[in-house]
Amino acid sequence: MKADLPADRFELFLLGDGEKKVTWALDTRVPNTAIFTFNKEDHTLGNLLSSRLHKYPTIKFSAYIIPHPLKPSFDLRVTTDGSITPRDAIVQACRDVVQDLEVLSREFTKEWELKKITNIGRD
Amino acid sequence: MDYDTYAVDGAEELGPRVTIREANNVAVDFILRGADLAFANSLRRVILSEIPTIAIDLVEVESNTSVLADEFVCHRLGLIPLNSKDVDDVLYTRDCECDQYCESCSVTLTLHARCTGDDVMKVYARDLVVTGGRVNDQVGNPVITDAKGEGCVIVKLRKGQEIRVKCIAKKGIAKEHAKWMPTAAVGFEYDPHNKLRHLDLWFEEDAKKEWPPTKNADWEDPLQEGEPFNYDAQPDVFYFNVETVGGLPPDVIMQQGIKVLQQKLAAVIQELAGGDERNGDYGDGARSPDGPPPGTAYGADGGYTTPFGVGTGNASAWGGGTTPYGATPYGNSGAGW
Ligand SMILES: [Zn+2]
Repeated sequence: MKADLPADRFELFLLGDGEKKVTWALDTRVPNTAIFTFNKEDHTLGNLLSSRLHKYPTIKFSAYIIPHPLKPSFDLRVTTDGSITPRDAIVQACRDVVQDLEVLSREFTKEWELKKITNIGRD
Repeated sequence: MDYDTYAVDGAEELGPRVTIREANNVAVDFILRGADLAFANSLRRVILSEIPTIAIDLVEVESNTSVLADEFVCHRLGLIPLNSKDVDDVLYTRDCECDQYCESCSVTLTLHARCTGDDVMKVYARDLVVTGGRVNDQVGNPVITDAKGEGCVIVKLRKGQEIRVKCIAKKGIAKEHAKWMPTAAVGFEYDPHNKLRHLDLWFEEDAKKEWPPTKNADWEDPLQEGEPFNYDAQPDVFYFNVETVGGLPPDVIMQQGIKVLQQKLAAVIQELAGGDERNGDYGDGARSPDGPPPGTAYGADGGYTTPFGVGTGNASAWGGGTTPYGATPYGNSGAGW
């Protein structure tokens, strides 16, 4: 087992040679279902995407698992209602979250500048 | 009011909203609304572990006759917070063209102290001196916030003892080593009255008495007498308190955290949506936080464009243009407040 542990800490977040960020395969036993393996990612992305997918009416199932606590990857299983492919659903989820983050960035900047002005006024 | 309808169709449609309760140059306390738990938690996690900063990573010990072993001193040096202004301009050593380290990917600090008096001498972070070139004139400076301007104690020397070291500070993230953390702590709370029952509080006699409410409890209505449990309710108000170690101001930490998360997502979009994303909204944003994906010509466009450069028209950070943070400039921390 010990030989399988990452030799360097940066192996937790740097893709290896030729390693892909995401690979995926269709689940042949269940329709409209695919399992995506995200390499060098953790709960930060896994839970974010899985939860976001739950909000879409076209998603019948979505959940993620980190198969081994010492291996820096997670599997995301997605089932759709057939009107969208699991792959497109994930891309959509990513875009929506990027958009939300963009809004958050603007909102935070706005608030921060405001706070700065009021703080100066107090001095 | 139907809480459920409000949470799903009302608040979240507006997108995330922020209310800053308190802010200064080393901490920000704010409320995040209109987001779900996963979003808030990912933001927290990314701030804790994936924002690049500068820290001493390599130490050449030329002389150490102090009572502390070399490794001990080196470890202490690594944990000293360093100014990480415009750290995006600093390359990761592993991505740099140099053999070991250079001015583009590191900052060199030297420390030389020798005790000649009879009293015990303290060596402070302020005694670290930046030598050689660096990307800008602040990056790598030891963070010093105390009134006396000393910084933290590195080692104590007795008469005749000496320490002489050369430190190489590099860019990294806290996933590799906690010394690269931009924050001391990220306070995070939601549902202070535990209405959602995500907590199962341990108690001896009375949970109400033994678990005094936090200050966030004043911002929400407590459970009313006889109010039924709402099993559909979802958390949508989050109380953050981001406390820095002084290397990056809190607003930059927030914006960097957002950017790192966006880069993660962009990498997924790039991988799954393929080439058609290249000219899309996110430009070449699919680059991993640690450099271009394999196969991308490094600097083929003559620069090192920011992740969302193409879409938003920001100039290349490498080329000395604007930062991707819009109106909020880096390093304003010392000014005004
Ligand atoms: Zn270099």
